[in-house]
Amino acid sequence: MPFQGAATIPDAITRLLSGYRTMPGVPDELMSEAGAVRPVWLNLLDALSTMTPDELSARMARGDQYLRDAGVFYRQYDADKVSERNWPLSHMPVLIDEDEWTTISAGLVQRADLLEQVIADIYGENRLVADGHIPADLVANNPEWLRPLVGVEPRSGHFLHFLAFDIGRGPQGQWWVIGDRTQAPSGAGFALENRIATTRVFAETYASSHIHRVAGFFRTFRDSMLALRGGDEGRVGILTPGLMNDTYFEHAYIARYLGFMLLEGEDLTVTNGELMVRTVAGLRPVSVLWRRLDAVWADPLELDENSRIGTPGLLGAIRAGNVTMVNALGSGILETRAFLAFLPRISEAINGEALSIPNIATWWCGQKTERDYVKANAASMTIGNAYATRLLSDFDDVSAVGGAFNREIGQSLEDWLDQGAGQLVGQEAVMLSTTPAFQDGNLTPRPMSLRVFLMRTADGWQVMPGGFARIGKSDRSAALAMQQGGSAADVWIVSKNPVSTDTMLSPTASSFMRRQTSALPSRAADNLFWMGRYVERAETMIRLFRAYHVRLSEAQGAGTPLLQSLHDYLKGMDSDPDAAFPESIVATLQSASHAAGNVRDRFSVDGWTALDDLTRAVEDMQRNALPGADMAGSMSVLLRKLSGFSGLVHENMYRFTGWRFLSIGRSLERAGALLAALAWFADEEAPDGGLDLAIEIADSSMTHRRRYAVATNRSTVVDLLALDPLNPRSVIYQLNDINTHIGFLPGVDPHQRLTPLQRAVLEAQTSLSLKTTETVGTDELLELGQKVTAISEHLAAAYLR
Amino acid sequence: MFYDITLRIEYVYDHDADTSRHMVRLYPADLPGKQRPVAANLTVQPKPGEWINRFDYFGNNFIELAFTEAHHEIAFTVQSRVEMFETSPLFDMSPRLSELGRDIAAQTRLEPWSPHNFIGPSPRVVIDEATRRYARQAAGGDPNTLQAVHAIGTALHRDMRFDPEATTVDTPMLDAFHARNGVCQDFTHIMISCLRGIGIPAGYVSGFLRTIPPPGQPRMEGADAMHAWVRAWCGSEIGWIEYDPTNAVAANTDHVVIARGRDYSDIAPVRGVMRSYGDHKTTQSVDVVPVD
Repeated sequence: MPFQGAATIPDAITRLLSGYRTMPGVPDELMSEAGAVRPVWLNLLDALSTMTPDELSARMARGDQYLRDAGVFYRQYDADKVSERNWPLSHMPVLIDEDEWTTISAGLVQRADLLEQVIADIYGENRLVADGHIPADLVANNPEWLRPLVGVEPRSGHFLHFLAFDIGRGPQGQWWVIGDRTQAPSGAGFALENRIATTRVFAETYASSHIHRVAGFFRTFRDSMLALRGGDEGRVGILTPGLMNDTYFEHAYIARYLGFMLLEGEDLTVTNGELMVRTVAGLRPVSVLWRRLDAVWADPLELDENSRIGTPGLLGAIRAGNVTMVNALGSGILETRAFLAFLPRISEAINGEALSIPNIATWWCGQKTERDYVKANAASMTIGNAYATRLLSDFDDVSAVGGAFNREIGQSLEDWLDQGAGQLVGQEAVMLSTTPAFQDGNLTPRPMSLRVFLMRTADGWQVMPGGFARIGKSDRSAALAMQQGGSAADVWIVSKNPVSTDTMLSPTASSFMRRQTSALPSRAADNLFWMGRYVERAETMIRLFRAYHVRLSEAQGAGTPLLQSLHDYLKGMDSDPDAAFPESIVATLQSASHAAGNVRDRFSVDGWTALDDLTRAVEDMQRNALPGADMAGSMSVLLRKLSGFSGLVHENMYRFTGWRFLSIGRSLERAGALLAALAWFADEEAPDGGLDLAIEIADSSMTHRRRYAVATNRSTVVDLLALDPLNPRSVIYQLNDINTHIGFLPGVDPHQRLTPLQRAVLEAQTSLSLKTTETVGTDELLELGQKVTAISEHLAAAYLR
Repeated sequence: MFYDITLRIEYVYDHDADTSRHMVRLYPADLPGKQRPVAANLTVQPKPGEWINRFDYFGNNFIELAFTEAHHEIAFTVQSRVEMFETSPLFDMSPRLSELGRDIAAQTRLEPWSPHNFIGPSPRVVIDEATRRYARQAAGGDPNTLQAVHAIGTALHRDMRFDPEATTVDTPMLDAFHARNGVCQDFTHIMISCLRGIGIPAGYVSGFLRTIPPPGQPRMEGADAMHAWVRAWCGSEIGWIEYDPTNAVAANTDHVVIARGRDYSDIAPVRGVMRSYGDHKTTQSVDVVPVD
């Protein structure tokens, strides 16, 4: 049983907290002002107090390991580069009493309803402006006010379906809303990840304390999204800006978790007012989009013309009432800081009630009275851009904090305010409450804010019982942002009574039926296809370089004609054999990683990790390897790593359509490389040793020795590498393989006429099968190479556009 | 006064476009009391797969077209006849510049042609200290708003060189201002920035100019292509007026309006997005002939 009061605190806990010093005037989540431990924490503290430092760090490592295994990273933007960092988990969760949470929830539901009223008015009748509750300039000058959407009613009847609020506890212990997240709130997936990782750290405590589960929230969310389709057959997708976005991992993760398609603007197209996803099986309707893409980028035709990540015509589909956006395009206007100055009065004016959780006091400088107030009270304010959507504590280019600028602007505060006027907003600077976080193994108070998530269900708003806490790096509130070194923590809502232990699966087995039939988007197929090609291409290059460096280390003086021939061949592949390390291998593997990164939602974390490991190994060798024997050794290491990756892909990957594209890519690349190598090294004019080299780079030396009782001659080599259907390194084997895969692709029917792609494969297959070693000359090999290229083009035309 | 207008715009792509979607604003606007389209006909090659007639936020009509088959070029041809009406001369009842803000604040509703929509920056118009300073100097002191508009337009016409080779459709407005040259689009964007910079709400008008001037008058610049000029709000009494800075004249019956918005990006004659790569070439020809 959890402790019901603070009557007796075990000595161990007292010792644990002996160094815990709260800041004067700042409330703390763990400790009351009088220094008493708040009861919700006792169970966790009790567990902590019995752990040795080693046990604790072993537990934390378990949580971190989970995050790495699950592929959770954080994209960090430094001055000049972007890097992937380990997820900054603060292992200590934030604990909140259920009764307090109930009050918070009610306040946030009230606010969510108000926001829906306001946004419906802004894009509808516009009474709030006409009646003087919102200044016209605040709407008209707002970059998130999207004029093409004025008057467009959302298909679902609502603008807002999924919201987040950033809240913090102020000096008197009361909660404040410090930011509204209405556009495309991120963090719900990370909240889930934090939860799983944190329960790895404190498994027993989590199981024995009455902590509300969050899985049920996601299940209801998934069902609500499916319900938004209405009666139609359209799909539900998650619209992401793509790989370069700082929360792309979350998008990929949540898409996998919920079983929705992860889509980019390019995956979608609009035909006759209907939104469609391009799949390998043709266009398929989409009727609900949970968008993680900011609205201005969503449609380059009617919104920002510079967008390269949108879908032209999307607004037409919305206007035609064929798609529900979660949330409606244009709802980002509510996030702008200046709205915080008006929402409390709007609530009073249109609903006759005060907001039960106030937002942080804010003054818009577009009005003279307010501006004068900000001037007079600048010392206790943070002043910044009125139209920005970040928290005011995440400073702008120019912000004024406590009356001083964050950088020199050569202007007085008064002049800046007068000139900026409506572009500026002032906000009361407050110290947010602190919560315990581990610092060098000891609990230390750190400022925190919570992100709380709400979804609209058929029965109204539902609040996620938990959330995402941002923990500051230092004891200053300002440094909460993760980009500034802050960290993230789980939020436990602690009940006095046992809680229901929901999982993502609903109680009845029928939920399995609801999973939507998958349709592979063409872009995903394209990335898988190219990943297959690039990995195989890298392997070919590595084998060629190994062969080159082995011979280089054995060569005396000027080298042999074969070495020169290999040198020329590599040059012809845009690979410079004289370079310290072949750039082309690095670039090819990076391309493979990039392609894999684009399909993170469809690719196993193990496969991803293996590829990443390979890319890192290459980058490492690039710095250290020496020409000759050392380089040849390095290449062998890479080949072993590559076979590890291939093993994962071909042994473990489920045989869904995507795997077939990956395999076709590999086979096409291999067929092309074999044909090119044979045409060069098995040519009549090729230097001595060329045939052995061809066998070596096709990894078939051993087979050759077993199959033929003679040394290599042109016939045995062409037979083994081109014509032998049992050699997995022969051209005909690749073509047969491709033919098998193509039989499983959409649109291919054994009872129908052959598709152009099937014909192209058949043509290459037949033309090679009918040949003998005597009739396969260099010209025929080159001609076959063109047939293989034609297969690739037909495949792209049929499935990948 | 009637005009027959023939317009042809062609796009030729370096590579075939798979599919494309366009917003086309090429019909003369219907402006009661000022301008009446008698007939308008758009032909498009190749034949579009979708054709939707719509109105935008500012009330301009436009056509959304989608091409669903691969194509190498697109040609738009518009033939229209429009009747233009003389409007009575304008008495300057505009407030002094220093008092215009009060008039703006008195407009409480936010509607498409509320001045609030035309006072801040927009996608192609920045508000910059350089244009602001230029505008203050050109306006001089505290004239009536209408006088200020004319003074700034005249100054720009004096200081800027009309040069079709100097800029492209995507040259940033400030670059053209610093180089002091450009075409009607640049003149118009620069003047809008000047006006907004000193608090005068201003927008962008696209349209046509008659090709051959009436006897005895010089041919105007920009008559052989589509034209653009400025729309400015001069207080609640006289509202919106239009001024052509490329020719330093108030817009008159020679100026046939197609569409009006905050800047070019709101009302580009043809705005398109295609699935293709590479570049394209555009050619344009316009003929605006009075009908006797």
